[in-house]
Amino acid sequence: MEALKDFFRKDLVQYIIKRILMFIPTLLLISVLVFFVIQLPPGDYVSAQISALASEGELVDADYAAAMRADYGLDLPVWQQYVKWIKDIIWTPTDSPYYRLYHSHHNWKYSFAYGRDVWSVVNERLGLTIAVTGIIMIFQYLVSIPIAVYASTHQYSAGDYISSIIGFLGTAIPNFILAIVLMYLSYKWTGSANVGLFSQEMLKNGVHLYNFGEFMKRMIIPIIVIGTSGTCGIIRSVRAQMLDEVARQYTLTARAKGVSEGKIVMKYCFRAAMNPTVSGLGGVLSSLFSGSTVTAMVLNMQIQGPVLFKALQSQDMYLAGAIVMVQAVLVVIGILLSDIALAFLDPRIRYSGGGR
Amino acid sequence: MKKTSNKIAALVLSAAMCVTLLAGCGKTTTASDSTPASTSKASVSASVEEKQPEVKGYSEAPMLADQVAAGTLPKVEDRVPDADNVFVETKDANGDPIAIGTYGGKITMTGVSGWGLSRPINESIIRFNCDGTWYPNVMKSIEHNADSTVWTFHLREGMKWSDGDDFNADDITFWYYMCHRNNFDGKKNGWKCLLDQKVDDVQTYPELAKVDDYTVTWTFTQPKYESDFILDGDFKWCWAPSHYLKDLIPNYEGYEYVENPYWPNPGERNEEAVLAAAKTLGIEGSSTKDVGKVATYNWWNCSGLPTLCAFTLPANSSIKDPLCVAVRNPYYWKVDAEGKQLPYLDELNFYTCEDEQRLLLFRDGTLDIIDIGVGDIASTLSDMGGAASLKTFASVEWGDTQITFNYTIADENYAKLFANPDFRQAMSICVDRTKVSELLSEGFLEPGQCAPGVGNFGYDPEWTNKWTEYDVAKAKKLLEGCGLVMGSDGFYTFADGTPLRIDFYTYDNPESDTNNFAVLAQYFKAAGINCAQKNMELSAYDQAIDNNDWCACIGPHTSIGGLGLNDRPAPFVPIAQAAEWYGEYGTYYGTNGAQGVKPEGDMAKLVELYEQWKATDGDAAREAIALQIYEIHKNNLWTIAYMKNGNGYVLANSKIQNYADTLVYADKYQNANIVHYATLFIAE
Repeated sequence: MEALKDFFRKDLVQYIIKRILMFIPTLLLISVLVFFVIQLPPGDYVSAQISALASEGELVDADYAAAMRADYGLDLPVWQQYVKWIKDIIWTPTDSPYYRLYHSHHNWKYSFAYGRDVWSVVNERLGLTIAVTGIIMIFQYLVSIPIAVYASTHQYSAGDYISSIIGFLGTAIPNFILAIVLMYLSYKWTGSANVGLFSQEMLKNGVHLYNFGEFMKRMIIPIIVIGTSGTCGIIRSVRAQMLDEVARQYTLTARAKGVSEGKIVMKYCFRAAMNPTVSGLGGVLSSLFSGSTVTAMVLNMQIQGPVLFKALQSQDMYLAGAIVMVQAVLVVIGILLSDIALAFLDPRIRYSGGGR
Repeated sequence: MKKTSNKIAALVLSAAMCVTLLAGCGKTTTASDSTPASTSKASVSASVEEKQPEVKGYSEAPMLADQVAAGTLPKVEDRVPDADNVFVETKDANGDPIAIGTYGGKITMTGVSGWGLSRPINESIIRFNCDGTWYPNVMKSIEHNADSTVWTFHLREGMKWSDGDDFNADDITFWYYMCHRNNFDGKKNGWKCLLDQKVDDVQTYPELAKVDDYTVTWTFTQPKYESDFILDGDFKWCWAPSHYLKDLIPNYEGYEYVENPYWPNPGERNEEAVLAAAKTLGIEGSSTKDVGKVATYNWWNCSGLPTLCAFTLPANSSIKDPLCVAVRNPYYWKVDAEGKQLPYLDELNFYTCEDEQRLLLFRDGTLDIIDIGVGDIASTLSDMGGAASLKTFASVEWGDTQITFNYTIADENYAKLFANPDFRQAMSICVDRTKVSELLSEGFLEPGQCAPGVGNFGYDPEWTNKWTEYDVAKAKKLLEGCGLVMGSDGFYTFADGTPLRIDFYTYDNPESDTNNFAVLAQYFKAAGINCAQKNMELSAYDQAIDNNDWCACIGPHTSIGGLGLNDRPAPFVPIAQAAEWYGEYGTYYGTNGAQGVKPEGDMAKLVELYEQWKATDGDAAREAIALQIYEIHKNNLWTIAYMKNGNGYVLANSKIQNYADTLVYADKYQNANIVHYATLFIAE
């Protein structure tokens, strides 16, 4: 308790409050960028919709298109659309039709394509996205950190070279190609391509204990494909950092004093070597939310990435805007959390001038 | 349907296709041929009049029998219309007898959106065979008076919605007055088949009257011919489940109540009330327009909505789900020759996946039916042995690898050049079609022109081969005859020295001809035509077309030609803001002259003939006019094609029975609807 109190000392608390206050202008700026960037492509959702209908042989007259634009508020100037969007997100009054229907003061608008409240679309895949991305990330760290530690303590050994090769292969092969190859091999060897996280039976009846094994089997390809792509970066950075640390003065001193090699590596060098990895955790929250887009599409995974992709493609702007905004919020929060974690990990780090 | 590229498959399949198409030979309907127009009550109960076999007693799927036994479902005799009113399925769309099937199982296809789900499940007013003949489907019979101003629809007594409620005339008056005429379905002005005449420039509509519970009449003030009414491609349904939707109907500005003797004014019901009612029914939508579209227009996509289809979407399944499940309708009104209630299958499943995954998922058994490109057919069939079966869908499109110019382009130099038929001839003959076929379709597609294919209405070998010889020297001579002058860089300029460069617009789409530019451009450049490609996202492309801000295009988004004017006239005559080949000329007609460019010359002649065609009754007379329209197309070739059109191919799990090997793919026949999914079954 005392340690925790000591950790959250005045300078750090002030720093956190300052950072949280900075969220407001940062997020407003991001929201402007997000809204206008999404609107940059020519046309809008209605024109995309008319194209889709024309592909199916259905012609839409100009009056109908104009009425659709009016219904969706797309006939307003972009800045007015933005103001209305952000105003309704911040506060939707109790006497508004939206509140009466959904009992929420934060109207993120409707997804044109889904015809539903944006949040209901986002929520639908949120749990699965976090679970899948979380499992894959845990795999990445569990695999790459021990390899990095081994490689750094056995520099230029056969194990170091092999781990480097595996790591580089995972990064060098584009995820979508590796995914296709693995699906094909899976089909050849097992008779099932294992496309998608769920079998048709699971999609109908849900995942239960009796079919959990099948679910885990279907996780193998995503874990290998997405997991191996991230391991190389972690291996290389931790290994380099470790090599740097093991050559430092304090390591030599500890060794001269007879401290065991295991203790030197794990207690001192490893802790210091984790700094860059922890500072990289800022993006983790956002990644957990969105997942991997291209690979998810190739593997037919029902996570958030493909929803964002398709929303951008069909100019379903409120859905795309909501997802990107949430990602932005999570990046901002993630960076703050990683900064706090860094301070916890390395007592030398300070957030205000002077030392103790 | 995916396009082609394999010679071996072509040889095997072309024979089968020709049999199907030749049988039709362009006759879209035949009913009026045998209908004496002078009689006071001309019956057109069907173009194919054949007494259906009498069935003695009904049987049902085991899963339904269990529910009957449990007391949760009425007996099959109480669910299916009696022998006089039931529909007995005996033949497929080619007229071949279907096998008596066994119950159970499911078929999984790829995911759907928009019109996708309607193809396998929709039940229409009438149904077409591959040869264009038709017969009543949901309606028991249809008839009209001598001058075609009064049409009578007879319903099937005892027919029920999928939730067990009676289907009767009220559901038709409800749809017409409370869903369609009040614009809830957004299509009040969209269906030509339900427009009467204009009085003082105000559109009038037919009067729908309920004669009794199972008879309704449509009364027009001027003749409404068969082709413009029940055979119109738009007129697929005219009913909605009144018992389910009655509290959802809006009544406010834009959706005003239409006076009628059957449905009382619901009082003011604004968008908020509509959305609240929709929420109660689980219908998704952010506006009245959205809700109306899903509940009364694309209604097959509406989870929980009662339908008349063999398979319906239950409340717990959505087309947005990764696996959308349409389940057996226990009240389906069709039986087989032995009285077994259809469908045989328990479910139709629609599994969402990327296009690239289809083949792998078909091979591993996840999918049972997929579209397939010809390049993949031979290897897949060879690898899968007898486990896969190939189905051919004959296409009605006019040629493949097409280019079109903007005939209403603002720049006078280009407008004059494009209007000159010699220029189009030059652009056609400067390309070596045989080489193009090898490069783009591995030699599978035959060289040809933008013309109706073999077996289609208007097929003309001379037209098919017009301007198809490869003659660069002649092309250059023609171009010079158009006033173009060869420049020092090897490219032509206009006579006034302005450089000529044709920008071909293309759009991103897996099935578009984006890549064709590279192949065609080398020929255009060799003939002295400088050209470039402008590839863009589809909506941007469509916007450029709508704004008349384009020069030429490859693979028009809205092609010229098709099954026939009876299907949809817009691909044949410039009457809408749609196809590239008529550009702003169509806008002029579509907006009654308010916008666009007034058609002249042959374009104007097309419009004139179309007006004549609309005012004419009888297949023969209409076909004569249609042939005049076709002749104008033949003379002008506003769109140039470099190859004949290929067919579409589908691979199906060989265990699926009653799926005909050759069918016709046409919008009027509702594409894959012609498969008759209710009759499919899985062989053990």
